[in-house]
Amino acid sequence: MKHVLKLHVNGEDHEVLTETHKTLLEVLREDLGLTGTKRACDLGTCGACTVLINGKPHLSCLTLAMDAQGKEILTIEGLAHDGKLHPLQKAFAEKGAIQCGFCTPGMILTAKAFLDEYPHPAEGEVKKAISGNLCRCTGYVKIVEAILSVAEEE
Amino acid sequence: MRLPKFEYLKPKTLREAIRTVASDPKGTIALAGGTDLLVHMKYRLIEPKRVVNLKAIPRLAYIVQGKEGMRIGPLTTLHDLAASSPIQESYPALAQAALEVGAYAHQVMGTVAGNLCQANRCRFYNQSAFWRSARPPCYKVGGNICHVVPVRTAGGRKPGECHSAYCGDLAPVLMALDARARLLGQDGERLIPLKKLYTQNGKKPLSLKKGELVKEILVPPPSGKTVYLKWRYRGALEFPIVSLALSMKKGKDGRIIGSKIIFSGIGTGPVEAVEAEKAMKGEPIDEGLIDKMSIQAKKEVSPMKTSIVSAVYKRKMAGILLKQALQQLL
Repeated sequence: MKHVLKLHVNGEDHEVLTETHKTLLEVLREDLGLTGTKRACDLGTCGACTVLINGKPHLSCLTLAMDAQGKEILTIEGLAHDGKLHPLQKAFAEKGAIQCGFCTPGMILTAKAFLDEYPHPAEGEVKKAISGNLCRCTGYVKIVEAILSVAEEE
Repeated sequence: MRLPKFEYLKPKTLREAIRTVASDPKGTIALAGGTDLLVHMKYRLIEPKRVVNLKAIPRLAYIVQGKEGMRIGPLTTLHDLAASSPIQESYPALAQAALEVGAYAHQVMGTVAGNLCQANRCRFYNQSAFWRSARPPCYKVGGNICHVVPVRTAGGRKPGECHSAYCGDLAPVLMALDARARLLGQDGERLIPLKKLYTQNGKKPLSLKKGELVKEILVPPPSGKTVYLKWRYRGALEFPIVSLALSMKKGKDGRIIGSKIIFSGIGTGPVEAVEAEKAMKGEPIDEGLIDKMSIQAKKEVSPMKTSIVSAVYKRKMAGILLKQALQQLL
């Protein structure tokens, strides 16, 4: 059965007529066209689909879209402001923390939630925070460097 | 992988949720964090007609210091549990166990009651419908065989039952801390030792009655020390190959007054090494006792090959974990 779904994504209100059994990931990609959020394992083990709900990292492949109503959803598309990249996006680009880029949206959003919560982490804490985000280009060293560089700037 | 179709319900109170689940317990499932449930649904291990979202019910997430200890709300997230200063101060092993579940996002999404009620796992069960179609359905999906022990073996393993393993992280620690669970059902409330929540029957691992839900977890004031050790393939994400919660209380003379040894990952529920607990009582803790208890625990547990790890290896690691845990409390 279809329902009218009201989602607040990246500061904008959206109304979508969609099925109740759809995950947030499916609605973001298929109904809203926000394909920055990536679909990989689809079972909650890779972190590629991570989005922020009320500022905290959530696996959108294991979140019902119905359940995300009335909450602030932030995807990678909503991170840059007025054409200016978020410090984390900039750091990822500058430090070479991106190779194929598939894990990057989830990685950056997880890092953002983590730095918002713990502004001055140790290296080990950063590694632990992104331990649920898999990068198959084996670029973890540069990713950790990029996140730490933003933490230090702040 | 798409979710199967279902009707989505959002009750406003716990009683309403219980009524809804009880009206059709086979076709209805309660949703908390969803990190375990939605994976099962994608794999078509369960295809409920109705999903009852408990997260819309207010006042189910709390950590309150009461007279009889700590009261933990069922929908308290693992992240909030680990970050809570009263939990960190009084029950550090519990905070640590919450951090051992999955990774950051799983801890933000996952809840205390959801973790306690997580489904048993098995390499033949936690697979897609396509993968499973190569074999006849096992007990856990309503079939008539256990692929872990399909025939009677020399060791006398029972082929007639489901051997799926309980792999939760919080249950062993909470059991070691003597926690109780307050359950709410159609017939009212009942307060049970957490141990009684687990039936040790792989096919139906929880003792919840029709429509019954976990309403609260009660943890008595800490006495003695507790440690949690989790052995897994890598430092994050994985379920335990074997994990151990050990709590121990020593007298003034250094002798052990009481202890709890609870394993996860090696049985159809959390496994208590009762004989080792008995053997430790009244003994002074030294290297000799540690070696003896490590051997005793190894003898006492009977893991199965429910993951890609052999039962022999799990048994060996159970002994080693107990040794390491006892050395920490030396």
